[in-house]
Amino acid sequence: MSRVVLILSIVLLVGCSPDRPTPRSDLNGLLRQSVSSRRDPSLGSRWLASLGQRNGRERVELVDLQRRTPVPLPGLNRSDAQPISVSVSADGERLAVVQQRDDRTELLLYRRSVGAVQRLPLEPPGVPRSVSLDGQGKRLAVQVSRNGRWDVDLIRLP
Amino acid sequence: MISERRGRATVQLRRLSDGTVSPLPQLGRHQPHSSPSLSWNARYLAVITQRGGRRLAVVADRLNGRMHPLPLPSGRAPIRLSLAPDAQQLALQVTDQGQWRDELLDLSSMLEPDRPPGQALSTPAVGADP
Repeated sequence: MSRVVLILSIVLLVGCSPDRPTPRSDLNGLLRQSVSSRRDPSLGSRWLASLGQRNGRERVELVDLQRRTPVPLPGLNRSDAQPISVSVSADGERLAVVQQRDDRTELLLYRRSVGAVQRLPLEPPGVPRSVSLDGQGKRLAVQVSRNGRWDVDLIRLP
Repeated sequence: MISERRGRATVQLRRLSDGTVSPLPQLGRHQPHSSPSLSWNARYLAVITQRGGRRLAVVADRLNGRMHPLPLPSGRAPIRLSLAPDAQQLALQVTDQGQWRDELLDLSSMLEPDRPPGQALSTPAVGADP
């Protein structure tokens, strides 16, 4: 009888244990390859944008998680710029980037299908720090430093 | 977004259509909060919290009020996170041997998908005609 109770208890415990997150070991191995560090992740539906460091220099990188391959971003990474923050839309088409270049910090929108970089001005002026695109890539939230305080600006995108 | 509440960094969810602040009773404690991230329809909110002096990533399900803590192996601490729009994956920035790493977690066994607005369900509703 006690053995039956014990077995039933184990079955119930196993059945009630909460599901847990599972590391994506295959992709995590890929993400470690050929970079000395990687930070500032941003997930789209099948895309991961992040800042990867190679040879002492950080670059915006995009990985297609379904095909498990890096995606080229022609025209986005410049040798004279240091990326600070990145965010990707759900479909991987748009990337918003904060970068430092020539002693100024700027907010950019990159459209992957046309390989075009557009600088987005802040009004009133401020120093962008961190950026977040909504899933549809039509709205942007950006953390901005103005007059010694943090603001969050919302920008509608065409 | 993160704002100061009683001197503590606290996550705040604001509806963009009318500016109202939505309550987050599951996240009323365990500050400071950092790195909030939403799913498509804001059903899920992932954020880094602090418990017992350690950082812990959690996902709050606003539909049923449940909290899903996401402890990391080897006692590593999350620094930033990003939730996939459908909430089936989470990307975490962690420190590993003095370097930053991004790691992906599969949440599909824990969370129902939060589908994009307007996307039809893949299974017919109960009672629907075949």
